[in-house]
Amino acid sequence: MAEIATGPMSRRVGSIRRLLERYPFLPALGIVAALFLLNGFFSPASLSYRALTGLLSTYMALILLSIAQTYVVYAGDIDLSVGSILSLVNVTIIVLMERWGGGAGAVLLSLALGLLLGLACGLVNGLVVAALRLQAIVATFATSIFFTGLALYILPVAGTPAPTLFWRTYGGRLFGLPFVFYILAVLLVLLFMLARTRLAAQLLAVGDDRQAAYQTGLPVVSVRIRGYLLCGLFAALAAFCITGDTASGDPLVGGKMTLYSVAAVVLGGSALAGGWGTVVGSLLGALTIGLINSLVFFMGTPSEWQNFMQGLAILLVLMAGVLAGRRARP
Amino acid sequence: MKRFIAFAMGAVASMAISASAFAETFKIGLSNGWVGSEWRTQMIDEAKAAAEKWKERGVDVEVSVQSANVDVPGQIAHVRNFIAEGVDAIIINPNSPTAFDPIFAQAKEAGILVIATDAEVSSPDAIYVGIDQTAWGAAGAEWLAKTLDGKGKVVAINGVAGHPANEMRVAGYRQVFKDHPDIQIVNEVNANWDQAQGQQAMQNILATYPDINGVFVQDGMAAGAWKSIMDAGKKDQIAATGEIRKDFIDLWIKEDLNSGATVNPPGVMASALNVAVLMLQGKELKEPAKAGQYGNALYLPIPFIDSENVEEAAKQLEGKPGYYSYTSSLSIEEAEALFK
Repeated sequence: MAEIATGPMSRRVGSIRRLLERYPFLPALGIVAALFLLNGFFSPASLSYRALTGLLSTYMALILLSIAQTYVVYAGDIDLSVGSILSLVNVTIIVLMERWGGGAGAVLLSLALGLLLGLACGLVNGLVVAALRLQAIVATFATSIFFTGLALYILPVAGTPAPTLFWRTYGGRLFGLPFVFYILAVLLVLLFMLARTRLAAQLLAVGDDRQAAYQTGLPVVSVRIRGYLLCGLFAALAAFCITGDTASGDPLVGGKMTLYSVAAVVLGGSALAGGWGTVVGSLLGALTIGLINSLVFFMGTPSEWQNFMQGLAILLVLMAGVLAGRRARP
Repeated sequence: MKRFIAFAMGAVASMAISASAFAETFKIGLSNGWVGSEWRTQMIDEAKAAAEKWKERGVDVEVSVQSANVDVPGQIAHVRNFIAEGVDAIIINPNSPTAFDPIFAQAKEAGILVIATDAEVSSPDAIYVGIDQTAWGAAGAEWLAKTLDGKGKVVAINGVAGHPANEMRVAGYRQVFKDHPDIQIVNEVNANWDQAQGQQAMQNILATYPDINGVFVQDGMAAGAWKSIMDAGKKDQIAATGEIRKDFIDLWIKEDLNSGATVNPPGVMASALNVAVLMLQGKELKEPAKAGQYGNALYLPIPFIDSENVEEAAKQLEGKPGYYSYTSSLSIEEAEALFK
């Protein structure tokens, strides 16, 4: 009897494991689904089309920033300057758009320069971490202060409105659908394509075992630098979204977002030690953070307990993720 | 005990009116994006107490609070949650002056009154009810200039560079010192509204400029700065601005410090709430909120504590915990006086 019972059981565990190996973000997906249901239970209005669009347009910046973080975490690195890169790009494009008159051409040119700036910041990080071999956590902490300083120089106090064209597009609709849905669609295609590139595999290989990667002939330094470049690029994209959602420049806007981006990466099932993870998981991790914040409020938590509950909920989700993930990892 | 009596009296009063007989019911959302200091906690508690007071007048003001350490998108989400909940008004202590323009526009479209407090916002769809931070900086500087008889060397210890309130305060004191040509600002440093950093900064300053006469230090750092001044044995040579917290005011009296404190009262949110309820009742301001750099501000009076009235301030704070701040807010009657 016992043997008959264990047979299908172990096969089922095996298939769950295979599924998790193939799609390591499944636990995160389950958690996001559960959080949606809970939010809907406590406040049905929070599941309305309008509220969901709002959730996406507000958290799109954190989603992109978490994805940026994921690429360096892949390689076992970390970037504590993503929030500052976001602030720097935010104030730069705001100032440029204003200076050039705020027309369509000015907006596009500013965005192109914003992308270049993000890449440049990524390059600085990559050089100090991979080429100069400084410890990533401290080196990027230092560059974060440097980037914030630059942002404060460009725009000393928050202000300067974005051109109406820009934020109306971001918050508006295209062919009847909210613009953020298109961003999400393009993002998913982009992530899918990036996941198939050699770079993604190389980053994971470097993160899994740097020594082994080096010995098999991978250009470890260049791979890590390219990881930071990708990170800078996505941080710039995140800056576009925050500029769209806030319609203004703020040299300190990204400061608090850095650690949230790290949290989202971990909530999404990636290992901070590197070599294991998915960008889709980080996307879901960012949504998890947003949904937890709303849920704590919709549950009617008294204000003095809201921080406590948020921390507790994030810890619980982390534990759930670890328990589910443990089965998948060898 | 006091709270219980208040509660019991409230209960009796509401029974007398009978619970369902409220003439009006308003739902007001309070959003606070930073919980790093007791000042913010007191701000919310006072706002809740102000809402409770409306019950005596037959107005049921239900408050719904979101208060947590969030980034700017997190606080935008606060506003979205309030819109989803269908509140009548939102009172917000905003994490950014400009970032809320689009979401406030959406709130207004949904027929929601938006009031910012403690920090001004640029949105034309909101009004600001609070103190003028430039005037706050100027008031402390005026006191310092007067105390020093218009001459001497001063240093400034400021908060977070780039933070709008900080920049306004800096502009405020710089203007005042410019009008006193014999006062020389020898250095300005940032200590990020942190007591430990304020103490450290003051130590460095005393080591570098042993002959300074005055210190313009913002609240949240002044207790730390004063500790360094006292440790250096210079409390009788130096005049410096102070804090409005009870523990500092007690120290002030005990050590007979030469200090003056501009009050940024935690009651600003309570004042904003009273203004909000009156606006929801359809009343109109005598003078529309058009002040400030964004043209949407209604400035509240700024109290000042100096050695003349510090005993009175201490009296208000008697029996409160050490972190409790001296406060003031518009009562319902005072708020009504602002309306037609």
